[in-house]
Amino acid sequence: MYLSSFTFTVALLPALLLCYYLVPAKGRGAVLLVASLLVYGWGSPARLLYLAACICYDYGVGLLLEHWQEKKALSTGLLAFSAIVQAGAMTAIRMVAAGGTMYPFGIAIYTLHGLGYLIGIYRGRYKAAARFGVLALYLAFFPALFAGPLMNYQEFTDQLEDRRCNVIQLGDGLALFIRGLAEKVVLADTFGYMYRELRQTGTLSMLTAWLTTLSFSLYLYFELFGYSEMARGLGRAFGFDLPRNFSQPFFCTSITAFMQSWNITLLLWFQTNFRYFLFGPHPRRRWQKYLALVLTWILIGAWYGTAPQFALWGLTIGLLVTLDQTVLTPLFGKRWLPGLAVTGILLQFAWVLFYADDLGEVGAVWRAMLGLGSGFVDQTGLYFFTSYIALLLLGLYIATDQFRNIAERLSATAVGRFIESWQPVLHGLLLVFCIASMLYGERMTGLWLHI
Amino acid sequence: MKQSKHARRMVLVILLIYLVLVGGTAASFRADAFPRPTWRSVLNGSWCTQFERYLNEDIGFHDVLFRIKSRTDLFIGEKMIQGVYVTDDRLLEKLYAEEAPAPESLADPVNAFCAETGLPTYLVLVPSASEVYRGDLPANAVSDEQSSRIQQIYSATASGVRCIDAYQILYTHKDSYIYYRTDTHWTSYGAYLVYRSVIQKLGFTPTPYERYVIRHMTTSFRGDLYAKTLYDDVKPDLLDRYSNEDGAKITSVTAYDADGDAADRGTVLYRESALSTQDMYRYYLGTPCDKLVIRTDVESGRKLLLYKDDLADCMVPFLLEHYSEICIIDLARTGARYRAYADPSAYTQALFLCSMERWTDLW
Repeated sequence: MYLSSFTFTVALLPALLLCYYLVPAKGRGAVLLVASLLVYGWGSPARLLYLAACICYDYGVGLLLEHWQEKKALSTGLLAFSAIVQAGAMTAIRMVAAGGTMYPFGIAIYTLHGLGYLIGIYRGRYKAAARFGVLALYLAFFPALFAGPLMNYQEFTDQLEDRRCNVIQLGDGLALFIRGLAEKVVLADTFGYMYRELRQTGTLSMLTAWLTTLSFSLYLYFELFGYSEMARGLGRAFGFDLPRNFSQPFFCTSITAFMQSWNITLLLWFQTNFRYFLFGPHPRRRWQKYLALVLTWILIGAWYGTAPQFALWGLTIGLLVTLDQTVLTPLFGKRWLPGLAVTGILLQFAWVLFYADDLGEVGAVWRAMLGLGSGFVDQTGLYFFTSYIALLLLGLYIATDQFRNIAERLSATAVGRFIESWQPVLHGLLLVFCIASMLYGERMTGLWLHI
Repeated sequence: MKQSKHARRMVLVILLIYLVLVGGTAASFRADAFPRPTWRSVLNGSWCTQFERYLNEDIGFHDVLFRIKSRTDLFIGEKMIQGVYVTDDRLLEKLYAEEAPAPESLADPVNAFCAETGLPTYLVLVPSASEVYRGDLPANAVSDEQSSRIQQIYSATASGVRCIDAYQILYTHKDSYIYYRTDTHWTSYGAYLVYRSVIQKLGFTPTPYERYVIRHMTTSFRGDLYAKTLYDDVKPDLLDRYSNEDGAKITSVTAYDADGDAADRGTVLYRESALSTQDMYRYYLGTPCDKLVIRTDVESGRKLLLYKDDLADCMVPFLLEHYSEICIIDLARTGARYRAYADPSAYTQALFLCSMERWTDLW
């Protein structure tokens, strides 16, 4: 069951929150674990089997790694074996089960959580889980299963021990959840619908190619960002403080800034757990740094999906970051406008790699974006442009996070105070609109990516 | 302190919304429709799916919520609700076939029927309102073209199959009330216009329009497009009944299900009770069935085998004027098994009358 599903929002969420706050503090961890298993197994309880196998495996291997802390050869071998087995199993399952009802969604999240947990023990950063239930909750924690954010095991357990559940946490968490839900069901689903319709028509004028790519990039951003914000909101309502996963990746003035603001916790996971094994935490030579960067982005790309184009997208981003750090940033200096334009255009071209079926399609879309396809405008492109221009502009505006900036600037004024006092009502209306949008159904998409 | 007050208000507002939703849902609770969980249905996931469907359809304030979303979409520039284009005068469904079958494959069933039975065979493919009123679609709206597809299928039919161009007839009369504004079907008048050409091809003289007494059975018909969009700015439709006092009298109506079990429906074609349901179009032929045999007091001895979808329902009363028996096979229900329902050698003519959209989906 997705966090953005109608059933979750109107039935399970209120029931779960009620249960969580009614149960004594001691039992809340158990409520969370049961809720996580319920959400995960909803509609296909068989899905729980692989998750349970991962939890058992990581629990056992974690204890062994701790036990073999002094025997580096043994523990290194076991860690390498575990990494290969888990990454291999994840890839195989994603390839075989993708799109089916049995697909264990969240597999890419809890595999990384599990591997990160084992690497942390191997490196002596923390001890293996003493209680099986704590590790089970860490791996199965349902708010983060859909698109992250990824969490460090130590941070999670610290918060689990010391979480505060009060009306402030609950109110703030619900507000954050509603905003994330709106980003998903109002914006992402509409952009996703627009992208699907544009792609189905087959005509490729310059306008249609740009609209397809722009709607896809906005769809992907709001899909991942929406789920991440919902996760943070739920986390806060349950007393956790999950990290922010995106930080205005649209309108970056450099590719490096984009890299640092797109799926932040994923990049951090690879920096912490992968680059460490390549050249250590701080590569000494420049070529080592860029090689590590490109390899990291290939893996990040591959994390999004098993098809080769995802790795190719990752490779492209890695190379663009290298180009940015070696050529573009020194060239543009402090002039932000050329940086913004070049970054925006390069990223839009790169997104084509993400959604195209094959290199032939990539070439066709790129040609069309450059005006070398089927003319400059066509009927489909014009229809969607005229129908959705307002929403596209709104989406781009929201993606810049200007709303928050304006709210902060206004907060000292009478208008700001008035808006702030009406925040609960505004959030209530937004929740009603989200429920209406979910009921509408047609445009609902599950997570398009098989994460 | 301020933050606490703010958060408390947030929780209260959201709690209130949930309470209202729960209250509305409880008020309209349908115990008979609520899925009962069993171990098996829970474990195989089917109960979850049924529960989700129930919740989606029976949530409190369903229609209000639906309208909030659709009206907002229209406000920001969208011209479509749930795959239906909204215009000032009518609702028009978007025609879209991801991979349209080759015209030859769409002509094959009727070609094979004609070749194997040797029966004089006629084909009428009726375009959707979206095709006839293409000019009324929102600017740059995308919708598949049907008229040329119909011509391609007609060109692919064998020489023994006679085709009737319904598109030209309907397009010529597009300023008349030939399609419902809120439904995908044509009106009785649209059906009558095409009937005039069809019956001539079948070898009869059409009953003149003046002979009919037309009664508006309802002036508040809101059809399937309305049910899909809940958009009530378009005027409701009229559902007409054409009666010819001097025409043929029905002597029996028998419905057959997929197993061949018969149900006698007396001598009444129309179902008044349908007018008090959501699906008023069922007024014409009643509850859908696989096969419907209608006998009349016409003594010509001519019998018609009619393969149709529900678009043809309001044309049947016109056709009955000329035949002593019409055997109606509902292609939408029988699918590719349509040949198993009747022995063609017992009939004098066969007519395939179907909407273009259904015809494409069928084969």
